[in-house]
Amino acid sequence: MVVLGAAAVEGGDGEALMAVKAGFGNAANALVDWDGGRDHYCAWRGVTCDNASFAVLALNLSNLNLGGEISPAVGELKSLQLVDLKGNKLTGQIPDEIGDCVSLKYLDLSFNLLYGDIPFSISKLKQLEDLILKNNQLTGPIPSTLSQIPNLKTLDLAQNQLTGDIPRLIYWNEVLQYLGLRGNSLTGTLSPDMCQLTGLWYFDVRGNNLTGSIPESIGNCTSFEILDISYNQISGEIPYNIGFLQVATLSLQGNRLTGKIPDVIGLMQALAVLDLSENELVGPIPPILGNLSYTGKLYLHGNKLTGEVPPELGNMTKLSYLQLNDNELVGTIPAELGKLEELFELNLANNNLEGPIPTNISSCTALNKFNVYGNRLNGSIPAGFQNLESLTYLNLSSNNFKGQIPSELGHIINLDTLDLSYNEFSGPIPATIGDLEHLLQLNLSKNHLNGPVPAEFGNLRSVQVIDISNNAMSGYLPQELGQLQNLDSLILNNNSFVGEIPAQLANCFSLNILNLSYNNFSGHVPLAKNFSKFPMESFLGNPMLHVYCKDSSCGHSRGP
Amino acid sequence: AVEEGEKYWWDPAAAAAAAGGRRRELVGPGSSPPTCRSRCGGCHPCRPVHVAIQPGVSFPLEYYPEAWRCKCGDRLFMP
Repeated sequence: MVVLGAAAVEGGDGEALMAVKAGFGNAANALVDWDGGRDHYCAWRGVTCDNASFAVLALNLSNLNLGGEISPAVGELKSLQLVDLKGNKLTGQIPDEIGDCVSLKYLDLSFNLLYGDIPFSISKLKQLEDLILKNNQLTGPIPSTLSQIPNLKTLDLAQNQLTGDIPRLIYWNEVLQYLGLRGNSLTGTLSPDMCQLTGLWYFDVRGNNLTGSIPESIGNCTSFEILDISYNQISGEIPYNIGFLQVATLSLQGNRLTGKIPDVIGLMQALAVLDLSENELVGPIPPILGNLSYTGKLYLHGNKLTGEVPPELGNMTKLSYLQLNDNELVGTIPAELGKLEELFELNLANNNLEGPIPTNISSCTALNKFNVYGNRLNGSIPAGFQNLESLTYLNLSSNNFKGQIPSELGHIINLDTLDLSYNEFSGPIPATIGDLEHLLQLNLSKNHLNGPVPAEFGNLRSVQVIDISNNAMSGYLPQELGQLQNLDSLILNNNSFVGEIPAQLANCFSLNILNLSYNNFSGHVPLAKNFSKFPMESFLGNPMLHVYCKDSSCGHSRGP
Repeated sequence: AVEEGEKYWWDPAAAAAAAGGRRRELVGPGSSPPTCRSRCGGCHPCRPVHVAIQPGVSFPLEYYPEAWRCKCGDRLFMP
């Protein structure tokens, strides 16, 4: 940058810059030094000039909260090589005159509020290497003339409202490295021509309205490192040729893919992420997927997969996410999954799995989330679960588990969700559950639990929901429940609790939902003011309980 | 969720440097991680790692696409 004395603005680039500033309107507070007076424009904020000619080479004005529009005067800056206006609040259209900046190599207008079409004039920028227009409100088609920019390496038009087909001509580019089109409304099909992008490593059309099938020739896209065609309406089967890809990320989720998972995917060891979830895939999980020993994320949930969980998946030693939920899987949970020392999330919910949880799962010491909701699993909670110290989410709901809740669960100190509802657990609730000071949701409903609510529940200082409804609980409610300042829902209906409702419950200022119905509470509902907001239904079915209320229709809460 | 070691990484210059010559001669289906042999500009050890590529707006609950890069110390190189 060159700093001259009081050279001021004498026509040329300085005048154009002042016009550009005027375009930003009143929102150009960041450009106070752009005043056309004191300093030479080459010293102005964000301006870079050529040392000899003083021609403006670069405008670096990102994240300055600029509003207004991009002035057509920008087209007068013929020497501009770089324009970075990302992260402002620019509105209006991209001026056609941008096409006059014939030296432009880098144009980043992302994260603004620009609307209208992408001007065809951009295609005149023969030096352009990076065109980044993502996160605006651009409409209309992708100009097929973008294919006329010979050195374009990055084309990022993600998160706009672009419509129409992806022009096939832009695939015939050996220089393009990055094609980001996610989050638009593009239609049409994936063309076999896409593999003419022989220099491309990033192909992302996630979240558009593309239809048709994956081209048979997809395997020719051998330079791709990331192939993300998720959340479109792609149908048909996954072609065998996909096995020739060298990708690290294969994201096909949220489409309408049918047929089986091809075995050949098990040979794609470069896969770091394999996401085939939320399609209509059938048949078994190929055991050969166990070969993917470098894969960290495997998502197959939300399909119609049948058969057993292959024990070979236990060989995927780098796996951190395994989501097989919402399929039609049968058989038992393979003990081999216990070999997955880096496993962070295991979701097997909503299948038809049976048998016990293998004790080996306790070896998955990195496990953070464990969800087997909605299966036909039985047996008891393995004692080794207390070793899963990283666990924050444990959902065993809606199975056939039985036996006592092990007191060791209280050692899993990071739990924020513990859902054991809809099982056949029996015996008392261990007092150690009160040690789970980070617990937000506790659901023990629909079991055969008995005994009192431990007074230690008063230590659950974060808890928002306690649901112990539909058990065989008895005894008095501990007054310590009044310490629960974050408690939103206390659901204790259909048990055999007795005695008075502790007046301390009125201290639970966050309490919105209270259900004490169908117990044997006696005495009076506390008179405290914030207790009056609970409806009659909260207290129904307690024949000995007196409910004060405003109208004369109630008195006792006998229920229907 | 973005785990440790996954951070925004996108360096057009490095990508450009590695452009061309990546295409593998195909002998059959299947792939393997890069070996990263002498890919870290003389820095040792040079090992393949997964890096997350932030595609734009981030939805916190979604993962980012990942690619292989060669890593030496805290520096990343194209495979």
